[in-house]
Amino acid sequence: MRLLRGVYLIARREYLAYVGAWGFWVSLITTPLLLAVMIFTPALLSRAEPTRQIAIIADDAGAGAAVRAAFEAQERERLRAALAAHAETVDPKSAPAALAAFDARADLDAARRAALAALELGGPPFQAPVARYRITPAPARDAEALAPYLTGAKEVEGAPLFAVLRVIGSGEATRLEYWSANLTDQAPAARARTALADRMRTQALAARGLSAPEVARIEGLAPAFVQYDPRTPAGREVTRRDSAPFFAAIALTFVLWGSVFGVSNMLLTSVLEEKSNKILDALLTSVTPLQILIGKLLGVACVSATLFLIWGVLGAGGLAQTAALAPSGQFADFAGALLMPSLAAAFALCFAAGYLMYGAMFLALGALCDSIQEAQTLVGPVFFVLTIPILLIGPAFENPNAPIVAAASWFPPATPFLLMLRAPAGLTPGEIAGPILALVITLALVLMFAARLFRAGVSHQLKAADVRQRLGSAGRKRPHPAPSHGA
Amino acid sequence: MLPAMRASPALIVEGLRKSYGAHRAVDGLSFSAPAGSIFGVLGPNGAGKSTTMRIVVGIIKPDAGRVTLLGGTPDQRTLARVGYLPEERGLYRSMTPRAIITYFARLKGLRARTARQRADALLEAHGLGAWGRRKIKTLSKGMAQKVQILAALAHEPEFVLLDEPFSGLDPVNQQAVEALIRTAAAAGRTVLFSTHVMEHAERMCDRIVLIANGKSAFDGRVEQALALAPRSALLETEGGYDLAAALAPAGLAIEALGGTDAGRRWRAALPPQDGARRLLAACVAAGAPLTLFEPARATLHDAFVRLLADAPP
Repeated sequence: MRLLRGVYLIARREYLAYVGAWGFWVSLITTPLLLAVMIFTPALLSRAEPTRQIAIIADDAGAGAAVRAAFEAQERERLRAALAAHAETVDPKSAPAALAAFDARADLDAARRAALAALELGGPPFQAPVARYRITPAPARDAEALAPYLTGAKEVEGAPLFAVLRVIGSGEATRLEYWSANLTDQAPAARARTALADRMRTQALAARGLSAPEVARIEGLAPAFVQYDPRTPAGREVTRRDSAPFFAAIALTFVLWGSVFGVSNMLLTSVLEEKSNKILDALLTSVTPLQILIGKLLGVACVSATLFLIWGVLGAGGLAQTAALAPSGQFADFAGALLMPSLAAAFALCFAAGYLMYGAMFLALGALCDSIQEAQTLVGPVFFVLTIPILLIGPAFENPNAPIVAAASWFPPATPFLLMLRAPAGLTPGEIAGPILALVITLALVLMFAARLFRAGVSHQLKAADVRQRLGSAGRKRPHPAPSHGA
Repeated sequence: MLPAMRASPALIVEGLRKSYGAHRAVDGLSFSAPAGSIFGVLGPNGAGKSTTMRIVVGIIKPDAGRVTLLGGTPDQRTLARVGYLPEERGLYRSMTPRAIITYFARLKGLRARTARQRADALLEAHGLGAWGRRKIKTLSKGMAQKVQILAALAHEPEFVLLDEPFSGLDPVNQQAVEALIRTAAAAGRTVLFSTHVMEHAERMCDRIVLIANGKSAFDGRVEQALALAPRSALLETEGGYDLAAALAPAGLAIEALGGTDAGRRWRAALPPQDGARRLLAACVAAGAPLTLFEPARATLHDAFVRLLADAPP
């Protein structure tokens, strides 16, 4: 009872110290904000990007028209996708009719108006995407004269010229030149090459006697594609909803990694503060080192639980609300996966295991040090171990059962993160139980070892310098340094 | 008044040894602190005072020797009756004095309500009532130190260990801490504090132990220590009289301090037994024209310096 009381009081103080600090409330607000910024910034940036002007100079008017048509088709596709997303949000039932009305009209403005007319009024107004490329008349024909426009020294219709596509020759001797001061955006060149290749193939086939409709039919040939998962009921196709849990698992693994890293650091700084100002000495006349260790772990775990609870409730509400607006959308699938009880349970278990393992390690290392600089030299190797799961996220997403990922799952320091990552992959009981057993055994050993280190550290029996010296001497006997505090 | 164990010492330290590698911090130290006394642990910096105190409260395990604290070993049960102020102290800067005192009192086993009441009463009694709900970081160093001592006293311990309680404090705050210690002692608690400032020990302690190089150089009552201090007297003679030459046959060491308007001043080391009377008798016998004869009061500082000089390496 006395043991529990000590643990409770330490945990309570730790919890109240963090929750009462303004930093807690700042992180409570800024973390979701940061997440939102990370999610929405790319979209906002792409919207903010001005339309890029491209000029086409073609010896063969037909080839030039084919390239122009390719760019117009791209813009049409982007507008259609935006309309589809808008329709899913404001009037999902009428979405197919709206898209059909769009497809029925060749003129882009007319198609947009027709699609919007098919939707019931209400909801947010439609915001058409900013055109990515605009075809503009060429201000000159030779490279030397075009150069000032491409470098921004001169403008075309009030804007700089992003690129010039020069189509030289015709038929099978067609040559495409791409002129641009931007050497990284190859998309316009690729689109033009594809358009010209299609046209060259079509012309070649027509020259061999095939009619234009027949050529178009052949060009459009592609196998019907259906994906199945042997673990789902026979005959049911794999949909986007089935793959959503894998994306959700990646997101949760990042959150898990960040949380474990963050709260472990909290423990490190907490024990460093108490060690450096000798509060630990006063505490040790009332509670044992083990009580302090457990109390701190519990207190900071409760801080994390509070954060997760608030974020979870707000996030689940937000996700459910947003998903309800577009039930058949990609976001709804992702949100649904995030809210799956099995993933949430996996996250909770993996967090508990990861937190206990790394939290105990950081506490023990903090107890050996007198300053954050000293602590950094000791926690470096632990950070290195922590990066292993992050390096395996890519291979694990491509193939959750890849040999390297499956093998790494048995490496206990990486197990919580990789099990989280592989959770939706339909692991066998052995693939779950084995690594978990290894993890539990390692966790017990880490906790025992951490408790011993912590005890030695807080009672000034062992210091960071001793550990470094012992590791450095690799078993060689060296004199024990005198304590730095007043003897 | 607490039911202190007057019959037996509150603390017995026997043959304590503690080494850090080749450095021997405590080397066979033995002493005992009577219950209800104010006991001083004296010694220069690095003598082994803090290590000894940490061993006494069980933070550090000794290599050899035994500590008997309040009749038992320094385990959690015994330490619940002990208050401890560590050296180089600090507090949780974002907590309030009231919360800190309550927290430490609860860790010692007090119920929440009782702990809060004690905290309020102590803060009020020591002039910190208005600061009770402000954060520690807004308090002066002296105030914060008082708060930490109050935190060590809140559970009304039988034994209080204060490691260098006066260090870093201005004279006013030193006075306040002295008052705190006297109040605790008046309430029947045994107070043990370490210091290297002899004036505090001399004013407050009943008994002291002087530690040098981890060993006990002296263990006893303050008066006994003072008796070991070298004694001297200040003398003044008229005109150009040479007192040193006059008293040389008597074997008395006289040091000339310089001239004054009326004559010359001298310092004489007093013999151990009945020194002042023997010096005066020698002066009279020599017919010395004395205008001043002032035996100096023995101080613990002088005893300390002498004992340290005599201490084994």
